[in-house]
Amino acid sequence: MARFQDEEYGRTGAGTPGAAPVPGVTPGVGASPAAEVTGASPAASPGASPAAASAGEKVDAVIVGCGASGSLLAAKLATAGKSVVILEAGPNLGLKDMVSSQIWSRRWRWNGAETENGGAVGAGFNNGWGGGGSASHHYAVWLRLHEEDFEVTSRFGVGNDWPFSYADLRPYYDRIQEEVGISGDAEAEVWRPEGDPYPMPPLRSLGQGRAIARGFAAIGVRTAPTPVAINSVAYKGRSPCVYDGWCDAGCPIGALANPLVTYLPVATKAGTEIRFDCTATQILTDRTGARAVGVRYVDGDGAERVQEAAVVIVAAFAIQTPRLLLLSANERHPDGLANSSGLVGAYITAHPFQSVYALFDDETDVAFGVSGGNVLSQDDYAKDPDKGYLASWQWTGGSSVKPNDLIGVAMARVDLFGDALHAFIADASKHLTNMAWVGENRAMVDNRITLSKTTDRLGLPIAKLTHEFHEDDLKALEAGMEQGQAAMRAGGAREVWLSGRATQHIMGGAIMGTDPANSVTDAYGVTHDVGNLVVSGTPLFPTSGAVNPTFTVHALALRQAEHLIEEWGAIAR
Amino acid sequence: MLIMTPLGLLPAARARAQGAPLTVLSRAEGEILDALGETLLPGAAAAGITNYVDAQLAKDLPFLIYRYLDVPIPAADFYRGGLAALDAYSEATHGSAFADLSSSEKTTVVGGMAGGKPEGWEGPPAGLVYFVVRADAVDVVYGTEAGFERLGLPYLEHIAPPERW
Repeated sequence: MARFQDEEYGRTGAGTPGAAPVPGVTPGVGASPAAEVTGASPAASPGASPAAASAGEKVDAVIVGCGASGSLLAAKLATAGKSVVILEAGPNLGLKDMVSSQIWSRRWRWNGAETENGGAVGAGFNNGWGGGGSASHHYAVWLRLHEEDFEVTSRFGVGNDWPFSYADLRPYYDRIQEEVGISGDAEAEVWRPEGDPYPMPPLRSLGQGRAIARGFAAIGVRTAPTPVAINSVAYKGRSPCVYDGWCDAGCPIGALANPLVTYLPVATKAGTEIRFDCTATQILTDRTGARAVGVRYVDGDGAERVQEAAVVIVAAFAIQTPRLLLLSANERHPDGLANSSGLVGAYITAHPFQSVYALFDDETDVAFGVSGGNVLSQDDYAKDPDKGYLASWQWTGGSSVKPNDLIGVAMARVDLFGDALHAFIADASKHLTNMAWVGENRAMVDNRITLSKTTDRLGLPIAKLTHEFHEDDLKALEAGMEQGQAAMRAGGAREVWLSGRATQHIMGGAIMGTDPANSVTDAYGVTHDVGNLVVSGTPLFPTSGAVNPTFTVHALALRQAEHLIEEWGAIAR
Repeated sequence: MLIMTPLGLLPAARARAQGAPLTVLSRAEGEILDALGETLLPGAAAAGITNYVDAQLAKDLPFLIYRYLDVPIPAADFYRGGLAALDAYSEATHGSAFADLSSSEKTTVVGGMAGGKPEGWEGPPAGLVYFVVRADAVDVVYGTEAGFERLGLPYLEHIAPPERW
């Protein structure tokens, strides 16, 4: 989030129109050159790697990644009696480490292998690590995809259809929201697809939210409280929110549903072993290439090890998941594991994002509330070619913002420095209002993860991310910016301006589908090519929709978990 | 936040006031960073921006905002390169090292960096150097309990940072 594409340099940063552009560097500058990567990989079985010590007993499932989907899968599989090991590249951070500070919060961001990133997608900010992954400090805006998001090819001839419909996923959305808890007002969300009402009332709206809602009402746009996986009241033993605005640094009281307070405790209680500081480097197969046999990884002491498992699950987000599959090429899978379609890494999507900022005379409580905000509008979510573009979009408004950091008050006017910056921070810390436009990114095959010529500290090729927006994405953004500025002015703002263009969320890279020729996995995330290799999380998304993905990640993972348990004999054979 | 210095664990401002030696950046680089930070946000030098950045660069996992930016250059190399580029640019355009420029000259140079691509600048992109160091300056001046207090904002911590700066 909070990144923009600088037109001249094609790089990223954060800023405002008329503000300083923030050029980056040419990908690869300063990096040591490496040999062209061909996908060759040494081992076709654990035994082929004499350097790698066994990490212990073979387990039922090894999961790469301890984020939202990995945590949920571990909890469900372990509760069903399966032995589970999670390999997590990040450190063992816990609730006690959620220090209320934007500076300290950076410990929770990915610091593993870099990404060669020539586009607008903020890989560094979007990736998490440690227990809970990026969900440990996510903003918990939990929205459902709409029916049409699952059927964009059938209905509109673009992108990819999902291999199932909203109706198929709805029961899992309903069950997750009951298990985890969501605060919201389902009736006020007039655009919401069918679903059970939320188990908790919405969070309170603070000054920002009231100003935004007032502005939208004045121009005839409907709003609702943003549904969030944050407790408005005590729920299932977890405390209610105290509105201090520190969600981005992590919520140690557990009001916000991060995996450290939802599924990880269940997983560990049921026997799941989490190995932190362990970076997966290769998925190993048997000599036929048809079965995964385990995962090779490097532990915190730098020792190479292998964890054997009946089922291998990759839940390492949209950059490292396809990278790991590509790094796992072997004689039977010369172009990368599970890549007979050639689509491992393809169809990366990232929601285009831009903020509308405003200063109001009244105090707006901008430092407080919740990072996800408390006003939602999806009045323009419906995809309609008559608009002149085909893309959904929404507003989430009223995010709590502290003075510093990438999403901080000071970044709202990155052009200012010196005494002018002091003056702006003093004013905006009391009077700023912000709302985020989040739009759909058309799924396009050439937006993808490949292997870079640059290598990481382990000598392995890093991921190279290639991504461009579709022209419809940008037309939708333009329409949104007009509407957003009009709303802020109508709400009584004394000054209105825009941030630079950025992205939120990263999806795709190992998409689900019904046909092995045009997808990497089946409708449950089981790869078409390797029957006991499973992908989970946002890499499965065939299209992006325009809603924050974590709720859908949970619903998908629950659906996967139950399928794996029901079909364990066939999958793990 | 305490930072590790050769004088021991100190708040960044005190480390600067006590002249704690730098461990990654050179003294000359530290002077440029002090001058740049102070131009970007007056008070940043006294708040210890240079000692803060230096201490972070000495860690395996720095807390710096640089971490977010997908720049494929090690952070220390980026800072060194950016500060050297700033000094060279100042020499070329104003005949003096950046730290020795007048206040108005510094403002002119930094304004050019903010514009993104000053002619003749060689090194890590000027706009990115501006962006990163500006964020560091805001961190040390406002990203702390003392900074919130100056703005009249209650800090409302769940878990307080280990110590006030």
